[in-house]
Amino acid sequence: MFDKVWKSAAWKNPQDVWSSAGARSKAALHPVGRLRWYYKWPAHSSNLWRLRYPFTRRNVLRLRGVYNPKSLRAEKTIVDRRPVYWVLGLAALAAIAPFVESSTLLAAGAIFGIYAAINLCWMLIVGTAGIFSLASPAVVGAAAYGSAYLSIHYGLPWWALPFVGSGFGLIFGTLIALPATRLDGFYYALLTLGINELCRVYVVQSKLFGSATGGLYGADSYFPESWSENHQLLLGFYACMLLMIGALFLYRFVNGTRLGRILRAAPEKKEAFAEATGINYRAARIRVFIISSIALGFIGGFYAAHFRGASPSLFSFDVVLLMLAMIVIGGLGRAEGAVVGTLIVIFLEKYFLEWGPMRLILIGFIMMMTVLFLRNGLFGTKLQFRAWRNKKKSEFRSTRSEKGGEMLPEEATETADKDQIYFRRFDKMQRDYLKGLIDDDVIEEHRRRPLGQHSEQLERLLVYFRRAGQVDKYAITMTKPFKEYRIVALSGQRGVAPRLVDDKIYTSENEAYHAVFLRRVQDLLES
Amino acid sequence: MDWSYILLSALTLASIYGLLAIGISITWSSVGMVNMAYGLTFAVAGYGAWGVAELMVDVDPIITGVAVVAAGIGTGALAGVLVCLMTFIPIHDKPNFPVRGLIATLALSLMGTQILLWIFGPRVKTLPPVFGEWQAEFGAIVLTADKAGALVSSILLLAVTLTWLKSSRRGLEIRAMMMNPHGAAIVGIGVRRTGIYVMALTGALAGLAAVLLCQTYFVSPFSGLTPMIKGVSVALCGGLGSVSGALIAAAILGLNESLTSAYLGGQYVLITQFALIIIILLIRPRGIAGMLDKAREA
Repeated sequence: MFDKVWKSAAWKNPQDVWSSAGARSKAALHPVGRLRWYYKWPAHSSNLWRLRYPFTRRNVLRLRGVYNPKSLRAEKTIVDRRPVYWVLGLAALAAIAPFVESSTLLAAGAIFGIYAAINLCWMLIVGTAGIFSLASPAVVGAAAYGSAYLSIHYGLPWWALPFVGSGFGLIFGTLIALPATRLDGFYYALLTLGINELCRVYVVQSKLFGSATGGLYGADSYFPESWSENHQLLLGFYACMLLMIGALFLYRFVNGTRLGRILRAAPEKKEAFAEATGINYRAARIRVFIISSIALGFIGGFYAAHFRGASPSLFSFDVVLLMLAMIVIGGLGRAEGAVVGTLIVIFLEKYFLEWGPMRLILIGFIMMMTVLFLRNGLFGTKLQFRAWRNKKKSEFRSTRSEKGGEMLPEEATETADKDQIYFRRFDKMQRDYLKGLIDDDVIEEHRRRPLGQHSEQLERLLVYFRRAGQVDKYAITMTKPFKEYRIVALSGQRGVAPRLVDDKIYTSENEAYHAVFLRRVQDLLES
Repeated sequence: MDWSYILLSALTLASIYGLLAIGISITWSSVGMVNMAYGLTFAVAGYGAWGVAELMVDVDPIITGVAVVAAGIGTGALAGVLVCLMTFIPIHDKPNFPVRGLIATLALSLMGTQILLWIFGPRVKTLPPVFGEWQAEFGAIVLTADKAGALVSSILLLAVTLTWLKSSRRGLEIRAMMMNPHGAAIVGIGVRRTGIYVMALTGALAGLAAVLLCQTYFVSPFSGLTPMIKGVSVALCGGLGSVSGALIAAAILGLNESLTSAYLGGQYVLITQFALIIIILLIRPRGIAGMLDKAREA
């Protein structure tokens, strides 16, 4: 019998499985996991020294301090690097300005600052408050006209204009916030679309606001008359940058405080839930609307002081569309989206003046493509790409027919012991090999002699079975000495008794051993 | 000021506004998109009619009139289909469609008006008088050709459209979409195909409105803006998605406009109009005939 198994045709060289020419696992081993790379800064301990905004407990940078599990050194990670990019970007803009020769670019830079500030406040209304208002340019225009009128006719100095403008913004903002208490969504958007046109038609036809001169000019300005033109441009650029930084702080302030958090808890279509938890989201929305309107009025007053007046083009439909393009290209609901979108649109619009209508067509085209293909503008591409990649990954996984015993990516990332990932693959290959060894001769050999010396195939199978983990491992138990044996499965836990597998009673020890072997063989073939 | 004159001009304005508003209203309720390129459709239709009028130099004025109206309606329908293909078809099943549709149509109208400006230049064009040059007097009322024509043709087209919506198979599909888009899709009404019908229909309405309004105003790249804003306000005031509401609102706002321009002056028209709309919307947030819970869930 021993000889018969030893020389049987079923014998396979066990080395073949691992040789390069052998039948390897065909399932590709893809790198899995969501590990992201961060630069590790040195630190003194896991307790970090954090930079805070003065008089608050708010951090400037979100840091994480940990001890490196391998080297045991204290490390510091900047989790959110956006503030660093903001500072670097703004510093670069401020540093380049004195070296810019072209006066077109400098003037465009100043316009960029003003429009970025307007768009940030508008983003507060559209993104944070969730009121789709198209009347924000009208608030700026109304404040600019009002303060320019007061400056021309009552000699208001330039430094008072933004504050007077804020007052106008408050009044105008309150007026147009009135319908927002009752209307929602598109009804409000459509209503506010008309308000711009109303203002434009009124201003163009009104003698009071310079219908004859095409605007209201002659307001007091902050540019000193004695300075050269280039210096005046530089001053204007820096003043507008300051305005934009102010708007950025307002954005951060509204979004980071209680007001912003309340509104984040009540996004569109989840208002009912927020209301049920005691959030008065309507009041919060109106408050943000009015705060932004005051800020927009401030910007309007600044506009009048910067351009020495106001013109009806502030209210024109094309300007509203361009400003919408700015916030849409960057991505709704993000400060960086508003600023970068403004940068792109203003650069295209003011620098390539000789292209004529072509540049507006180009801007419209960019806006269109952004809306058609991107879910949330330029700054939403990262998330959108990840979602797309995950979709493709899972599609790919589901099309694969052969599984290599590997873990799913989600499982692999959550497993602490990464050796398990490779162990499963190894185990799968080994089981495939062992399945090929099982035949009637091997089973017959085991039936005759469960213990003692065996052929190579049987010995390999037994070694594999014996090495299995304790959980649900088969064992035999003696119910009556030398008369009754039964098969049990171990629990694998200390203090938890093994459970009986079936009712069968075996009369000898060898018979029971063989029954366990048969069960294991069946489990192996089924796996 | 004569009451009959005011009523007559209110009626004319109401018929044109109704034409504009019903287009916007039907678009919103059936395909779920606020069509901000409606003004562009309007301007394109105006240029289409003008182009045909330029071609017809030595033709009988009646034939010219018919051709110009037909050209306006045809170009309008074509522009509507174009808007549908560029903005509705690509994104109608993507997330956040209502906002994206609004922005896409705005972008399209920015592009389109600039392309018109590029091709035709900023100079305004005039259409030939489609309805001839006559006037009829009924006692104190003087009915000029353009007013009578506008009144008759807009009422005619509105009646034809509404009958078509009520009685034809396609109209049934569109009404099913207006009631419940998901249900319509389940019983086999193609969303995209119906979208194209709807946009062609509303484009044709805009085209006719363009020809009618350009009897008194001019054709220019930006000429569609004011009609669109008025149409949107009327549709909003009447309740988006409701045809009867749009007609009532058109009547109210037309009366308001003729009263304001008669007693206060032309520059206050928009102000009184918006004050009126805001008051109406504060009382009824979904418009005159809109139902709060029947509002279309985008």
